[in-house]
Amino acid sequence: MTGVAAEAGDAVDAVDAAVAVLRAAERRRHRLDLSLAVATPVSLLALWQAAADLHWVDPRIFTPPVEIARAAGQLISSGTLPSDLAATLARLVVGFVIGAAGGTAVGLLLGIARPLRAALSPLFTALYAIPQIALLPLLLVIFGVGETAKVLTVVAVTFFVLEINALSAVRHFDPRLVEAGRAYGASGAKMFRYVLLPGSLPAIFTGLRVSIALGLVVITATEFVASNNGLGFLVWNSWQLFEPDQMYVGMATIALLGVALTAVIAALERVAVPWVHRRSR
Amino acid sequence: MEVDLLSGPERVPVSPVAPALEARRVSKVFVGRAGEATLALRDVGLEVQRGTFVSLIGPSGCGKSTLLRILGGLEQPSTGEVRSTTRQERGGLPAVAFVFQDYGLFPWLSVVDNVAFGLRMAGMGKRERHDRARAWLARMGLAGFERSYPEQLSGGMRQRLSLARAFVTDPEVLLMDEPMAALDAQTRLLLQEDLVRLWEETKKTVVLVTHSLDEALLLGDRVVVMTARPGRVKLDLPVGLPRPRNASSATGVAFSRMKADLWAALRDEVEKSLEHS
Ligand SMILES: Nc1ncnc2c1ncn2[C@@H]1O[C@H](COP(=O)(O)OP(=O)(O)O)[C@@H](O)[C@H]1O
Ligand SMILES: [Mg+2]
Repeated sequence: MTGVAAEAGDAVDAVDAAVAVLRAAERRRHRLDLSLAVATPVSLLALWQAAADLHWVDPRIFTPPVEIARAAGQLISSGTLPSDLAATLARLVVGFVIGAAGGTAVGLLLGIARPLRAALSPLFTALYAIPQIALLPLLLVIFGVGETAKVLTVVAVTFFVLEINALSAVRHFDPRLVEAGRAYGASGAKMFRYVLLPGSLPAIFTGLRVSIALGLVVITATEFVASNNGLGFLVWNSWQLFEPDQMYVGMATIALLGVALTAVIAALERVAVPWVHRRSR
Repeated sequence: MEVDLLSGPERVPVSPVAPALEARRVSKVFVGRAGEATLALRDVGLEVQRGTFVSLIGPSGCGKSTLLRILGGLEQPSTGEVRSTTRQERGGLPAVAFVFQDYGLFPWLSVVDNVAFGLRMAGMGKRERHDRARAWLARMGLAGFERSYPEQLSGGMRQRLSLARAFVTDPEVLLMDEPMAALDAQTRLLLQEDLVRLWEETKKTVVLVTHSLDEALLLGDRVVVMTARPGRVKLDLPVGLPRPRNASSATGVAFSRMKADLWAALRDEVEKSLEHS
């Protein structure tokens, strides 16, 4: 009796030990992944620094990282970088919010209203095919060189991406779920609110992720040519004045801004559509 | 053995009580995008008496799901009519509940909110609908999974979830479309026993579409066999097995004989449906 119990206890201990070993191995692999992810960019920066110091490359064009960091410090303490960042961020966020809200609303509406869809959807698809940045000269003519034209380029790109994604989510909605909704008493506004809208959220968030990245591209390009502040202006102006160290600071800030905004959208997505993430676990 | 009592339009109901559901000369034609027409059902007559369990079998594509949808009002017949003597609305709750072939669970709702969906649409407050949903989840062996999402559940659990969603609205009529088709054999046996027990406790009016002759006989008071498309009623077999039933009801001579009769009726139709496709 005790022998059997002891044996069973041993078996449990052995299993626990095996679990502990597997967990430790997985933790080790995870740590290795992390260190590799950090090591790669750090080594590249070190290589860049060495290449510039040893004059393998022209340091006047490929400003070494240490110089860039110094330039960044100056731009921050002078207030230039924060104010450029704020200008770009404001244009991007305002344009993004307006475009996303409008595009989602119009896309969902076209999804449920067939005559509207027939009337507008082909037109919108054709308009989307025009690169939104090509609208900038026209917008400048109409609105002048103020904030409106710049924000509208972001609105345009965001609007069309969300319109197309939301429309397609409704159009390709699982008919079985619509039927289940109807069977359990959802019709009209309730069908929209409790079935179509939540079921379309994953596609809407895909649209948000895509369009925030596109929006950053568009606002940067806009600021290149039609602005006297903002990160795009910082990059473009630094190039024209041949101050590559500042140009690199601007580029790095734009990249970091893109990463940060994408992370914000991803965090919102985890809150708004938790079921999608649990599924993939 | 091939009695076609129910399909004629001239049939006068013998029962003094009107059936809970009745299809009269129901036909359904679908018109596809390219304009091609598919006749799914032709002149189907079917009566479902209150409190009886009717099993519906027939070859794939013969119109079983279509008939079920028409009976439940999710689809309109092209010709003919469906009569229902269910009490209409009870506090906004539909009198008919569906259990769908692939469950039709909402992936964005937690398990408890899926069950409570019908109650919510009927305007019931959160506290009450969650209490009721939890009670049915517990009864279905899903206690502890309230906050999970359907995609985290196994097939058998999703199935029980969709049964809970149907039962929680306390419907008069339950329409089930191949609810066990996607389950493994053992899970299916367990759920069949659950269903027998549930039905014997609640005595709902049920129409169950199934591909399994055993399931049809084990659960049904009657088994209705449909022809190949366009579907009509070919055979309407009363199942005289005593209740309460359990897995051992599916043994014995009477069961085997009825199964043979069903297969004899079904076999030709399955062959026909294969020739057509
Ligand atoms: N919404 C629809 N549009 C066009 N054809 C349909 C539709 N629903 C069903 N059908 C056709 O009607 C026939 C019967 O379908 P169904 O009722 O699903 O058969 P079963 O459930 O018996 O397999 C099939 O040929 C199917 O392709
Ligand atoms: Mg079917």
